[in-house]
Amino acid sequence: MIRARHQDKLWLRLAVPVLSVLAVVAVWLLLVHGVGVAPYVLPSPSATVRAIADDWDVLSDGIVITGKEFVLGFLVGTATGFGLAVFMAQSRWVLRALYPILIASQAVPIIAIGAALVIWLGFGLTPKVVIVALIVFFPVVVNVLDGLSSVDEDSINLARSMGGGPWRTFRTVRLPATYTPLFSALKMSATFSVTGAVIGEQTASSTGGLGVYLTQQQSRLNTAAVFADIVLLAAMGIIAFALIAVLETIATPWRRHGSAPRRWRTHVSRPGDVAPGSEVRPAEAAPPVPASKGAR
Amino acid sequence: MSTTAKLEIRDVEQRFDSTVALSRTSLNVRDGEFISIVGPSGCGKSTLFNIVSGIQRPTGGRVLLEGSDVTGRSGQVGYMLQKDLLLPWRSTLDNILLGASLTRRVSRADRAHAAGLATQYGLGDFLDHYPHAMSGGMRQRVALMRTLAFARDVMLLDEPFGALDSQTRMEMQQWLLRVWAEQRSTILFVTHDVDEAIFLADRVVVMSPRPGRIRQVFDVELQRPRDLETLTTPEFTTLKRDILALIYERDAAPGAPSPSSGGESPSSTPNGRQA
Ligand SMILES: Nc1ncnc2c1ncn2[C@@H]1O[C@H](COP(=O)(O)OP(=O)(O)O)[C@@H](O)[C@H]1O
Ligand SMILES: [Mg+2]
Repeated sequence: MIRARHQDKLWLRLAVPVLSVLAVVAVWLLLVHGVGVAPYVLPSPSATVRAIADDWDVLSDGIVITGKEFVLGFLVGTATGFGLAVFMAQSRWVLRALYPILIASQAVPIIAIGAALVIWLGFGLTPKVVIVALIVFFPVVVNVLDGLSSVDEDSINLARSMGGGPWRTFRTVRLPATYTPLFSALKMSATFSVTGAVIGEQTASSTGGLGVYLTQQQSRLNTAAVFADIVLLAAMGIIAFALIAVLETIATPWRRHGSAPRRWRTHVSRPGDVAPGSEVRPAEAAPPVPASKGAR
Repeated sequence: MSTTAKLEIRDVEQRFDSTVALSRTSLNVRDGEFISIVGPSGCGKSTLFNIVSGIQRPTGGRVLLEGSDVTGRSGQVGYMLQKDLLLPWRSTLDNILLGASLTRRVSRADRAHAAGLATQYGLGDFLDHYPHAMSGGMRQRVALMRTLAFARDVMLLDEPFGALDSQTRMEMQQWLLRVWAEQRSTILFVTHDVDEAIFLADRVVVMSPRPGRIRQVFDVELQRPRDLETLTTPEFTTLKRDILALIYERDAAPGAPSPSSGGESPSSTPNGRQA
């Protein structure tokens, strides 16, 4: 079913999402111009675009600041989450000891953590990065653990029977099983870790950013500017999601292809490639017909 | 025979807590021999293979390969477990190269060798295929090529064709005999299918459960190469009847002595019956 999607025409795969976004804009236009919703409740798309253009200096700075928090937090959260999952998978006792702490850490509201982080880490970049990292980290740990434990124990036995040491066995047989669940976690996190950056900035900030801008414009009841900010935040989430989806397609080709794409091929097929040692040894002729009926 | 054994299983025993998965078992395997092992589920066939492959250290006894002790040492024989265990993210070629990538940096020569083997045995058009895009028969071939590319003289095959339909199964048996003959490997082959066991093997080992043990070893004195005719020879039929009788605990023929239930080291006698 995944491969069926792959076979769809590229233009179709691009056109459909574009059309659905246009449909949302159409409904928006209809609400503003057709139904006549007041501009301080719902600014028109053009007013929103104008608000972005008018305040572009501040907003572009905001994009850079929030984007930096977001990207750094994302990377830190993914790396720690992955590392922790691998560590936890080494022993079921470590797993049992750490799991409740992990879950408890997620039960605490992020706003509360944000307040504490500001006290510990100040008003700069660091507390925001930590908040985003905290949001990304949990789904990564859970999904990577799932991936690690999805590997058949007999695959490990097979690797051991071939004399594979623990590290190579881990790298060859277990690690790649985490890629698919890892990317699922990252796609989920991509969108709501933008929220993390915004919350971080709103808790306390001396550096500005899209979250700070949002609070300011909200207090002025500048709906168009608020919408401008929302559009930019949404765009950030969508771009992050899309980048991760592209990365996923490249990193896990077996999910979409029946055979390895050219760049992943591990051999150069040349006619007349003769393998050393594979020459046919003198042999008795293969018997033409074997037995088969199930005897019991 | 004991001095020239390729593989010697000597008084091997495996207990799990109170249960005896395999009671004291001995077996000598000659170089280039094809041995089939039959017996009901739970009689310790896989346990025996786990021990010979070195991934499990037996609670008693030793495994000797060409005279040297390899008990508990892995990497000495090729082992194909009951499932194909192909890694979904590896292409056919990379799956075949698993043994190499687990022990060293995979070289160009490794790749060429593996590709050569695969091509020689009918997988040439599937080198870049992922496992999910291949049929059960093809996957088994890849798994067997993985074992073969690991390049050990002795190969343990645990019910490799168990999950295949009978049509594919026939092809695979032919194919396996070809591989075996050309590569001059020594093969231990577990199966549930008595026809398959006899057809392939030089000797058929019959095991029984509770506790898991070797009941009897039957010599298969059928000429090679074997073909359709083989299946209808009186020797084949007699042997099959004897083996089935032993498995189902019935006497093979009126007046025949009932099979021994002694658990340890039956030596091979022509056509099996052991005192
Ligand atoms: N790791 C284990 N722990 C406990 N019992 C086991 C273990 N492995 C196998 N057994 C038991 O040993 C017996 C033989 O198992 P096995 O070798 O898998 O049989 P077979 O392959 O002939 O079906 C069975 O009764 C099984 O339950
Ligand atoms: Mg078994």
